[in-house]
Amino acid sequence: MEERADAEAVLGPARDEFPQPPVPEQAPHGRRDFLRAAGFAVGAAMVGCGRAPVERAVPYLVMPEQVIAGRASHYASACGACPAGCGVLAKSRDGRPIKLEGLDEHPLSRGGLCAVGQAAILGLYDSHRFNHPLRDGEQTSWERLDSEVMTALDRLSEEGGPIRILTGTIHSPTVLAAIETFVARFPDARHVVYDALSSSAIADAHERTHGRRMLPHYRFDRAKVIVGLDADFLGTWISPVEYTAQWREARRIGGSASNRAHHVQFEARLSLTGTKADRRYRIAPGQVGSLLSHLAARLAGKAGVEFDGAPASDPPVAAAVLDGLADRLWAARGESLVASGSQSVLDQVVCNFINHLLQSYGSTVDIGRVSRQRQGNDRALETLLAEMSRGAVGALLIAGCNPVFELPRGADLAEQIRKLPLSVSFAERPDETSEACRWVCAVPHYLEAWGDGEPVQGVLTLQQPLIEPIGGTRPLLETLAAWAGHWRPAHEMVRGRWRDEVFPAQAADSEFESFWQKAVHDGVCLASGETGAAPAAFNHAAVRPSPAASEPAAGRFAVSLYAKPGLLDGSHAYNAWLQELPDPVTKVAWDNYACLSPKAATEAGIEEGDVLRLVAADGGGPLELPVVLQPGQHDSTVAVALGYGAKASERFAGAGPEWLERGESVGPNGRVGVNAASFLRFADGSLSPTAVTASVSSAGRRHALAATQTHHTITVPEHLAPRGAARRSAIQETTLGELGSHGVPGGEHPAAHDESLWRQDHEYPGHRWGMAIDLDACTGCSACVVACQVENNIPVVGRDEVHRRREMHWIRIDRYYEGADPELRVAHQPMLCQHCDHAPCETVCPVLATVHSDEGLNQQVYNRCVGTRYCANNCPYKVRRFNWFDYARDDPTENLALNPDVTVRSRGVMEKCSFCAQRIQEAKIEARRLGIAVEDGAIRTACEQSCPAHAIVFGDVNDSESQISRALASPRAYRVLEEINVRPSVTYLQVVREDSGKGASSG
Amino acid sequence: MASAAPQLEAPLIAGGKTPLAVTRDICAVLDRRATGRWWAGFLAALAALLLGVAAVAYQLVVGIGTWGLNKTVGWAFDITNFVFWVGIGHAGTLISAVLFLLRQRWRTSVNRAAEAMTVFAVICAGLFPVIHMGRPWLAFWIIPYPNMRGPLWVNFRSPLVWDFFAILAYFTISATFWYVGMIPDLATIRDRARPGFRKRLFGVLSLGWDGSYRTWMRYETLYTLLAGLATPLVISVHTIVSWDFATSVIPGWHTTIFPPYFVAGAIFSGMSMVLTLMIVARKTMALEDYITVGHVDKMCKLTLAVSLMVALAYLTELFTAFYSGNPYEQFAFKNRMLGPLGWSYAVMALCNVGISQLLWFRKVRTSLGWVLCISILANVGMWFERFVIIVTSLHRDYLPSSWSDYAPTSIEIATLIGSFGLFFTCFLLFCRFVPVIAISEVKGVLSAGRSTEARERSTAAAAEQEGATA
Repeated sequence: MEERADAEAVLGPARDEFPQPPVPEQAPHGRRDFLRAAGFAVGAAMVGCGRAPVERAVPYLVMPEQVIAGRASHYASACGACPAGCGVLAKSRDGRPIKLEGLDEHPLSRGGLCAVGQAAILGLYDSHRFNHPLRDGEQTSWERLDSEVMTALDRLSEEGGPIRILTGTIHSPTVLAAIETFVARFPDARHVVYDALSSSAIADAHERTHGRRMLPHYRFDRAKVIVGLDADFLGTWISPVEYTAQWREARRIGGSASNRAHHVQFEARLSLTGTKADRRYRIAPGQVGSLLSHLAARLAGKAGVEFDGAPASDPPVAAAVLDGLADRLWAARGESLVASGSQSVLDQVVCNFINHLLQSYGSTVDIGRVSRQRQGNDRALETLLAEMSRGAVGALLIAGCNPVFELPRGADLAEQIRKLPLSVSFAERPDETSEACRWVCAVPHYLEAWGDGEPVQGVLTLQQPLIEPIGGTRPLLETLAAWAGHWRPAHEMVRGRWRDEVFPAQAADSEFESFWQKAVHDGVCLASGETGAAPAAFNHAAVRPSPAASEPAAGRFAVSLYAKPGLLDGSHAYNAWLQELPDPVTKVAWDNYACLSPKAATEAGIEEGDVLRLVAADGGGPLELPVVLQPGQHDSTVAVALGYGAKASERFAGAGPEWLERGESVGPNGRVGVNAASFLRFADGSLSPTAVTASVSSAGRRHALAATQTHHTITVPEHLAPRGAARRSAIQETTLGELGSHGVPGGEHPAAHDESLWRQDHEYPGHRWGMAIDLDACTGCSACVVACQVENNIPVVGRDEVHRRREMHWIRIDRYYEGADPELRVAHQPMLCQHCDHAPCETVCPVLATVHSDEGLNQQVYNRCVGTRYCANNCPYKVRRFNWFDYARDDPTENLALNPDVTVRSRGVMEKCSFCAQRIQEAKIEARRLGIAVEDGAIRTACEQSCPAHAIVFGDVNDSESQISRALASPRAYRVLEEINVRPSVTYLQVVREDSGKGASSG
Repeated sequence: MASAAPQLEAPLIAGGKTPLAVTRDICAVLDRRATGRWWAGFLAALAALLLGVAAVAYQLVVGIGTWGLNKTVGWAFDITNFVFWVGIGHAGTLISAVLFLLRQRWRTSVNRAAEAMTVFAVICAGLFPVIHMGRPWLAFWIIPYPNMRGPLWVNFRSPLVWDFFAILAYFTISATFWYVGMIPDLATIRDRARPGFRKRLFGVLSLGWDGSYRTWMRYETLYTLLAGLATPLVISVHTIVSWDFATSVIPGWHTTIFPPYFVAGAIFSGMSMVLTLMIVARKTMALEDYITVGHVDKMCKLTLAVSLMVALAYLTELFTAFYSGNPYEQFAFKNRMLGPLGWSYAVMALCNVGISQLLWFRKVRTSLGWVLCISILANVGMWFERFVIIVTSLHRDYLPSSWSDYAPTSIEIATLIGSFGLFFTCFLLFCRFVPVIAISEVKGVLSAGRSTEARERSTAAAAEQEGATA
């Protein structure tokens, strides 16, 4: 108390010593104070109302080499999404790749890149990827993995235990050499290769007929007559991008229409390739051999070669058709190509015989420089599986494939793998096989690692990393080297091999360093010189007629398993873009299903959407799948897509916006679709997708499929059709005859609108952008759809939203049927914002959120849009897309794939194709910087760039010399819905059909 | 006028009412406590309203995706409801303004309720253009107000902007008209009320009405002027609403007949709604003497006439489509009738054209049960008319690839129910707190259709009564 009092006493006077200044608060509040306080209060409230958290952009202190903020760099590489080995040009922004484009200089893909290749960028930013090695499903270190695996390998080596490496097709010479070295270290080691979408029978057949197991390099571009038999070479077969470019080359309507290749397709289901054929015939999957034999007999007769035994049964198509086709093939011998996708070696031998008779070897079927895009050997696989079931394998290393998912008895295989002393999976992300393996070596995405490839002999490609590996991964190459005891970075190994092997084989450069720089820059290098050992002469003795076709027993269907262009073998089932990509033919996304012909379905009393139960005749299955009625399909065939029901698709549980009536994106099995691999069979040493017949019964429930198009014909329903006007004019066609004789279009052309009540109120003083799409070239492959999705940050909405018809794709491909089986015709029509001069959307927007630019663009101003959707209603093309929800963007890794040049749209806003306005702007800025005019071709929209068929041309219509202006002058040019005078900026070129009546019999 | 040949005309007001009785009868509803029926109705309406509020709140939080719309069908229940409610609003102005100008004195018994209905219906209608937006919090952007966004302004070419003006003008005039018409009655309530809040409130609302000759003269002038102002709106509002569709390029929308077609339809639905409400009100509020079968009969005749106009519009539309030679147009109409949503066309035709033909029969017109059914069905039909126009035109337009179906979600249905909840909540409150029949106007037509003798009798009775009260 005393102390306190003292303190008080002491402090008292001290306080007086320092008189307090008058406190401002004590002053009466004035008007200004009030306003100030109110201002602060409002300001504080506004801070809380901010729409987005404030993010600061911090400039680089030290600018990394080659990185200019806001400017993209492009690096050449090779696509690693499938073994076709297309060239890619990766666009990198601020050190991260954001878009893959086709590499124009690539001799195979020629600038195209398929949907899967486009979508592969999402795999790089997949947060579900392994970023460390695993032991028994637990995280481990590379050191521990290396030491334990090496110990196990050493033990096996001492014991002489069999070591097997099972991979998908690998055409990287460096990796193959590493595997070879690895295999050579052990007494009993073997490298087994298989392909889930196998072409093993072709290689086996060549072993019989040419003495060497090889896959020829097909050259559709050199053919004048193309015959495809169950080979979907434009969609999924071996190297579709390459073949599409070749096919387009062969089918181009240049100076004279007669130069165009004639394309005949025989197939069981309606494939993408079938939709583009001049003549298409439906045959059961088992009838390919019979058909080939009949054709071979006719051609052998013409060639005067003895053909051992004419087929006993009748051909599956009319004899006259075959006669005509044989005549036509024979007339074009040396320039014709018969390609069969059959997985029967006997069929393929006959096919080889036909190609031999037609002198195709050396021209359209190149066996001098063979293809390495499919190296699977199903016989070796079968042997390995037998060893596995006997328990005769000591160690199994699995890389680049997912056998537990892809092979028919996957569950058994998984069990066997679990029992192995050593099982290693080299995987990017968890899959069925990595789950079964003891060790998982996390491998990087191909954009993170050095690599090389040789898809076709003599075509060498280089992969360069575009980004520091996102996780703690290690390439297969380095792991194998580490286990061999001399780890080196992949870069050194690739470079070393190129110095030792590739550099000496070329003549263009004398200095390795400059050669290497150039190779890395170009991404591709053509080796000159030798073409490999010449194959033996054709071995006639190998040719046997294929056994007669066996029709499936009554009540059964022949099962045809196939791959979809979007999902292929299912190794990309993790990819939301690909799952949401509608199948180009059925237009169904997010599911696989059983396709039946409408006739077969009617006879069986099945309706679209009914769930079917398929049970294989040999007891396989059952598979429960919803039905899709597929015109153009053979009546006794049921077609089911592979690649679905993968573990990787489990992540899509909960995909799409969350709300009261949301439906699931995954099926009852928790995955997208059902795995049909259980219907694959080994038949005569080949993994056959068509070896099973199945009984079909209703499972008693229905499953609504998510389709982006539900009316499939270009004609309106008959009972609603105005008299004589059932066909809509959106698809226009002409014939070769009309083109050849008159050079004028043959389709309906509504009279040009000379007089218009609507004032031409837009001037286009500078550029005027336009697009031309050649419907004759478009195969519907949908590469553009994914390219656009990547480029323009288009959200994925999930299965239920697609089912509700709310997919967000800015470009869609309308697929129209015309006529009915067997004369079904198909047309694909990419449909995107038409950037109309008299845009109906522009006049109706109350807030001017969609306006016309003086370069002819119809611009959507997202932050002005209030979302009345009036513009979308008034769009005759229905290309506008509305953000019904805030679509999830909550995966920060995945968000790295976003294009920083394009706004991510928020809920309640309309969006649509912008003609890649950001690319136009970039090119204009670049041109201004260089002080030049924007060159024709300097701007390529994402869809145009990716198109393997080069069906899309974009450019300045005001420039009379531009490619687009030339395209507009084509006699085939027309505009969709020209009659309503909205004056679209997108021009279509008519589909060209062969003249009816002439058919296959014309010479 | 009417008194010249009293015996030829039925009285407009039954029961030989005196002016005092009129005041008493009509104010009785306001004076007594709310009945059980009223409470039941009010709670039901309130529940529906709350359901709607919940649905709209959910939609505002989650997104328009909670509606069943898609890339092809961008409008469905939302704009259907909007046009439906605007249409309902039409009868009010028609009855108040047009019938007033045409000196149809029978209107006095129904005009107050009809005007109230108009105001509430327009409120309901006005909600939909706001909540149907993807970003409704920016709805004010369609208003051309001075702003700081540079040259940004609204698009005067867009019918949605015209809509904004049309609806705003209509609401303003209707509300004013309704209020002005109510002033003498508000004064009556004020005069009858005991001192207190009620008296003060109605004192303010009645704007110092003193019932003087001068006031009455001013009032009559203003009322006539407003009626004159409101009359063109009867035509203009729905004409402009129809332009939303008529100015588009979509087959089935792009039709020049739409303005008269929409106006006729709107009057039809409005008259039907008035009939529905009046038949229920006269029963529940014991106003049989004021809203007589004669009133219903007249309303029915008018409804029948408009129904025939609507039928004519339907037929003309079909004729034009098939005469046009335009295959898209022809398809759109065939698809409307025979396509997957053909049932909605059938409902529309049956309710609007078929069933209303029963009104040719006097027996039906004077049977309130029948009239109630017909009037309710007419509104069902009119709702479907808008649904047919909007959805069946959109769901299958030019490119068959984009054709799609449409089905509403639970949220959309709840929103529709909610709009009815809002309407009836407002209407029931109106019945509770404001004279549902225009007292002053009814008093003016008491003599209509009565013989001199009867008039004298009633005057005597009035004197007697007044004497008694005094």
